[in-house]
Amino acid sequence: MNSAVTSIKLVLLGEAAVGKSSIVLRFVSNDFSENKEPTIGAAFLTQRVNINDNTVKFEIWDTAGQERFASLAPMYYRNAQAALIVYDVTKPQSFIKARHWIKELHEQANKDMIIALVGNKVDVLENNEDERKVAREEGEKLAEEEGLLFFETSAKTGLNVTETFVAIGEKIPLKTAGDQETDSNGVAISDEQRIDLANSGNAAGQTAGCSC
Amino acid sequence: MAVRSGPHEMSEKGHHNAHESSSVGVGLVSSLMKSWRISSSSSSSPKAASDPELSTSRRSSQSNNDNNHRTGAISLMNDQKFADSDGNFDAIAKQKTSTIRTPSASYSPMRYMSPSNTNNVTNESPRTSLLRHNNHHSSTHTLTHTISNTTTGNGREPSSSRHHDRYFKDLDEDWSAVIDDYNMPIPTILNGGVDSPYALSRKSTTSSINTTSVRSTSFNYPQLPHIQKVDSSDLRSEEELDAERNVQELNSMIQRIAKFDDILKNKHIINQQQLREISWNGVPKIHRPVVWKLLIGYLPANTKRQALFLQRKRKEYRDGLDHTFSNQHSRDIPTWHQIEIDIPRTNPQIPLYQFKSVQASLQKILYLWAIRHPTSGYVQGINDLVTPFYQTFLTEYLDPSQVDEVEKLDPETYMTKEQILDIEADTFWCLTKLLEQITDNYIHGQPGILKQVKNLSQLVKRIDIDLYNHFQKEHVEFIQFAFRWMNCLLMREFEMGTVIRMWDTYLSETSQEITSSTNSTTPTDPSMPPLTPKEQSSATFVTPTNDSFRSPSSATITNNMNTSSDNSTRIRQSSLNEFHVFVCAAFLIKWSDQLMVMDFQGIITFLQNPPTKDWTETDIEMLLGEAYIWQSLYKDATSHWL
Repeated sequence: MNSAVTSIKLVLLGEAAVGKSSIVLRFVSNDFSENKEPTIGAAFLTQRVNINDNTVKFEIWDTAGQERFASLAPMYYRNAQAALIVYDVTKPQSFIKARHWIKELHEQANKDMIIALVGNKVDVLENNEDERKVAREEGEKLAEEEGLLFFETSAKTGLNVTETFVAIGEKIPLKTAGDQETDSNGVAISDEQRIDLANSGNAAGQTAGCSC
Repeated sequence: MAVRSGPHEMSEKGHHNAHESSSVGVGLVSSLMKSWRISSSSSSSPKAASDPELSTSRRSSQSNNDNNHRTGAISLMNDQKFADSDGNFDAIAKQKTSTIRTPSASYSPMRYMSPSNTNNVTNESPRTSLLRHNNHHSSTHTLTHTISNTTTGNGREPSSSRHHDRYFKDLDEDWSAVIDDYNMPIPTILNGGVDSPYALSRKSTTSSINTTSVRSTSFNYPQLPHIQKVDSSDLRSEEELDAERNVQELNSMIQRIAKFDDILKNKHIINQQQLREISWNGVPKIHRPVVWKLLIGYLPANTKRQALFLQRKRKEYRDGLDHTFSNQHSRDIPTWHQIEIDIPRTNPQIPLYQFKSVQASLQKILYLWAIRHPTSGYVQGINDLVTPFYQTFLTEYLDPSQVDEVEKLDPETYMTKEQILDIEADTFWCLTKLLEQITDNYIHGQPGILKQVKNLSQLVKRIDIDLYNHFQKEHVEFIQFAFRWMNCLLMREFEMGTVIRMWDTYLSETSQEITSSTNSTTPTDPSMPPLTPKEQSSATFVTPTNDSFRSPSSATITNNMNTSSDNSTRIRQSSLNEFHVFVCAAFLIKWSDQLMVMDFQGIITFLQNPPTKDWTETDIEMLLGEAYIWQSLYKDATSHWL
């Protein structure tokens, strides 16, 4: 079949209940459920897509949004090649949180990381544009300033969900020796992840510092 | 006394008569099964008590006694209770019986022991020998034997050795596999296995001389007999067994209910230890609301004070609400908002939690708890933990015929506003009590969870090194899957019905207040919260030595032996968290075979969605039993890892 499969490690970050898990569920299973249980810790999912005749395998860590779990996030983004920072277009607070995440990633994560800023839940606006609390322009502006991809999505309707992932996939250099890459990536990740809980503690401290 | 003479006779028979038909054994097995789950009459054996030499091991002798009577007669099962008469002891006793017998079959936690030392067996603590073989294999073997012995727990029939051999062979190489294939049909056995080390460890404290002598010889026994495997189920038809089982089940359920009645009704002071012990093995639905409130330390054991106490606590809750939602109090918006968005996604698959009235109740409970516990605040997962209480307490207001419908009925249709407030209050206070025990899980940085995850990995490293190595090879980190296990007490891994059964045990495992040791004689002020916040916050993972007395069965012993109160203080700190780690270990190792052939993605995906949809209470009971075994084998060791 495909001789070369590029693996992309991707992490989702964002405030609680902005729809991170729903975006992943839409992307991975093309499904939606209105009330998804809050993610605890993080959830791992994968999905393959074909991008320009290459197969890209997304290995996705969908993190928990609540602030209390933020200390775990570094473990998941530290070796990721891509990140989705998600906010809810109807919740201004979630946009502020998105800014924090952008800052943290710029400071802590891989410099080459491809980051997409994603404003979710645009389906809510269909009948009532008044619900919108974060202007599209605001999101675009932030993304431009920070050098991010930008999409407004709806996990509920599926709008722009796959497009977001494909856009990320297109920006990541494809590997020819897929298997090897996968392996080395795997090793790399785990070396980082093998971190001990003591390190996580440090990370927690940092995180707290940033978000305050 | 059978206890003492048994080993000698059996050491002969056990080896040579192993091929004898085990029909008696089968009967025993099923009766043992029953008895594990159901405890019944409270009669103690006078014989056992009268033997001075065995007074410290009264339970074991009693159970042995029972075994002698039993010889296959299922109906006798229910007589074999100890004075404490609780299911757990029951199991312990049984296990003990088999342990006592073990020398005959040469498999036992003390399998290295020379047969000539069989008399000492009753007094030996497997833990002592375990501590010496700390490596994976020897402990695995030990466990194996414990289990297999239990299954064939027949005081006299040598046929048991055949099973021993069978299970030994299987288990030798791969413990978890056998746990599955062998124990599944006869889940109760495990409990017996669980208890053995326990009972023994208890005993070792009272008879240190014997323990010592055993230690010195514990490695001498050279080899195990090789006996052919026979499937015991061949000996009796499935239907027969089923029918027998059903009858037993019914009988024992009735007796179990009666037993709870006996403990709860018409008592001035409810014996908390007794309740704890019997509840470990499951609480009948009709008793659950009251029993849970007692176990968690909310409802006072002094029944005369209960009504007044409830009245006061319920008023306190209402006052708290009034204050919190009054104008004087500024709303903590982020917390309120976080709870608000989590409530509709709490147990979304259960209709009950979609009713507005229920959501409003939970919102109030969680918010009030959060603002009253600012160092922790509301953390996702707590919304899960509140629901078993709420759902269970609702059943109190339902017609018994409707109890099973609780997940479908809107409480507003069968309760008054006042009653709903009462149930909110009860839920609030019980949640508070529960979270007191696991505060460290939810404070900043969640150190309690990180520690538990670390302990889990260390435990698995010792119990199942192959799995541990495989995880390392695949770069699977325990925190990647186990964080949720700790944060939600495995609630996300099981269906609600199973969780509730699990909580019977968990709430029995909640650390008992200091008051517990004096409970039977001097009832303390029931209104006093058992744990002050200060004590609570200092709670740490384990205090190993004292901890060995901690669990349901042993706790009584501790009390009976007038253990000092500071002993109980230390005991109580960690019990729930610690036991939970063992449950997680048992849960993980249950899938060891499957996980061993998976890669990173497969492992994580599997563990995020473990195939537990069809789990029954029996499955969860077996898991708890396995956890119990691991705990009794490893609890001492855990202290050295940290």
